[in-house]
Amino acid sequence: MRNDKSILLGAVAYDPKVVTIWEGIREHFQSEGVALDFALFSNYERQVEELLRGHIDIAWNTPLAHVRIKQRTGGESVSLGMRDSDRDFHAKVIVRRGAGITSLKELEGRTVAVGSSDSTQARILPLYFLAQEGVDLRRLNVLAFDTQIGKHGDTGTSELDVLKALHEGHADAGTIGDLVWVNEQAAGHVDSGRVEVLWTTPGFDHCMFDAHPVISPDKIDAFQRALFAMRWDNPKHRQLLELEGLREWLPPREEGYNSLEEALKQQK
Amino acid sequence: MSAEVGVIAVDGGELPLGGGLLALVRPALDQLEPGGMLAVLSRSRGVREDLPTWCRAERHEYLGVEETANGLDRHLISRGRFSVPYETAGDNNLLESRDGRLTAADVLNAAPMPSRADPITGFAPRGARIESGGPSYPFILNERDRVAPPEVAVLYDQAVSSQWDATSDIPWSKAGPLPADLERALIQIMTFLAENELSALYLPSRFIAQIHPAYAEVAMFLATQLADEARHIDVFLKRARLCQRGLGISSVTTSRSLLSLLQTEDFTEAAFLLSVLGEGTFLDLLSFIERYAPDEATAELVRRARNDESRHVHFGLTHVRAGLAADPTLYGRLEAVVRRRAGALRGIDGVPAPLQDALTVLAGRSTEDRALARGHEAFRELLETMHLNRIRRLGYAGFTPEQAELISELHTPNFM
Repeated sequence: MRNDKSILLGAVAYDPKVVTIWEGIREHFQSEGVALDFALFSNYERQVEELLRGHIDIAWNTPLAHVRIKQRTGGESVSLGMRDSDRDFHAKVIVRRGAGITSLKELEGRTVAVGSSDSTQARILPLYFLAQEGVDLRRLNVLAFDTQIGKHGDTGTSELDVLKALHEGHADAGTIGDLVWVNEQAAGHVDSGRVEVLWTTPGFDHCMFDAHPVISPDKIDAFQRALFAMRWDNPKHRQLLELEGLREWLPPREEGYNSLEEALKQQK
Repeated sequence: MSAEVGVIAVDGGELPLGGGLLALVRPALDQLEPGGMLAVLSRSRGVREDLPTWCRAERHEYLGVEETANGLDRHLISRGRFSVPYETAGDNNLLESRDGRLTAADVLNAAPMPSRADPITGFAPRGARIESGGPSYPFILNERDRVAPPEVAVLYDQAVSSQWDATSDIPWSKAGPLPADLERALIQIMTFLAENELSALYLPSRFIAQIHPAYAEVAMFLATQLADEARHIDVFLKRARLCQRGLGISSVTTSRSLLSLLQTEDFTEAAFLLSVLGEGTFLDLLSFIERYAPDEATAELVRRARNDESRHVHFGLTHVRAGLAADPTLYGRLEAVVRRRAGALRGIDGVPAPLQDALTVLAGRSTEDRALARGHEAFRELLETMHLNRIRRLGYAGFTPEQAELISELHTPNFM
């Protein structure tokens, strides 16, 4: 376990902007009197292992990485905070207009585009929730976009691939996260004459700061104090918050990961 | 338009979220304070799925949907607390045209300048609703009393309506021909004027980017001043080149003097040196040239240039006067900057020789003995007139007679 006083945080470098974000947050922590440094990993599997070994104090984790940390530490890891946007995430089932799909049951026998195998919002949970709704997943003709494996769907690349497949008629339906869906619409990238939303899954929670089980209380206090001091109406903070996709940091909550835990159990 | 807490309803018809509905929903929400309610009527089934998600993404609270009696969906949204534009300070009075005319001064009355400007309002026009959390702009002229004299909009209006055309408003066909001596003198004078006007083009341009856009009328006035200087440079050089003898001399004295002017770092100090002292002195110089102009074209171009310059002088005077009224320590600073410039010309007494000789010949209208004696006398009178008028202007700006006398003396060799 690390015993120097500065906090070492791990994050996955899914995009060059990750450096900008964490350099900015490091600077902000410094101005709050909290020594923070960060280590970047290329994938969440490595980051999870390094947190478990105590090489880093805190990991900025996807829901999949968060649930794995919880499982591997027997629930002893410490959850520290999340983005407002991480709460009440949903996935969407999008259909191609003209495919004639008006109910979930009608997905059976059709081509359904899905995102990367480790994307919670574009693959794992939408398929889990469809099964809950009585859809026989074995009867779906799944068109999988397994891009950027290890990044847990952070890049959104596979979700854009799903949308593209729908627009181009290569799939009848597809599953993507709700934010990509509305943001693509708001940006005018969706042809509403070709695709439309069919269904919204139940809500689930997304990313989380996970700390090693034996992190010192001082580090927890310092980390949360500096993190929660970031403000949307502060121009310096705002740039970082925009890049990281939030308006404010919120305290952790665990109930939003129950469905993912369940889905992972069923995958085994 | 001011924001309100309350209820607004919009009818989205069959528009999907990504097919135009947002252009109704977003502006409607912008009219509301946080917590204000928006009802969205819709016939689109997809909106049931997408509107709650969009509200989540934008941090508005989606309160639910109910079906109305006529089968429409009625979605309710409560405006979230992020990114709410705030009203900028300043009362907005009624703006009306009079006899079909609308002046910048009318607009200034309707939307007055704030006494201090907020760096985060950036280039937002005065009175715009500013979203919070924006970057801070590096403008350093953020106080009305140091930037914007009360008359600035009136001066801007005058400047805009007084613009003229250097191509066709001067009777160019009535330039010369002149005897060789007189022609050389005229070329020298025009060369000197153009060189000085170039400095008057460059110096104010350095300050425009420092002026907070809440005082945009000042930047707009300076823009007219730059256009004026550009036109003056244009006509002075055209007149010189019509002589077909090349240009005159640029002396080291003039060059040093103008460099010391260009190196002024403060807007008020620059307005004082350039407009009150320099351009003020030029009013008398241009009158002199007009009086002794050897042809109609020359008389007309200096007359027009002088009209423009008197506006610049007026701006400089009102600027300095307002500054001195607000900050008495400015006297000392302005005196110091005049001393600094005088220091740059230490050891040089009087006006650059090529100019002095040219003005003497121009006023004498020839190089005969008696003509030159007359010309020399006229030149001495010119210096005296310049000195007296500088003292008069300095008095108007707020200087005591003693201060005015000292500053005018110190300025003499600089002309501009």
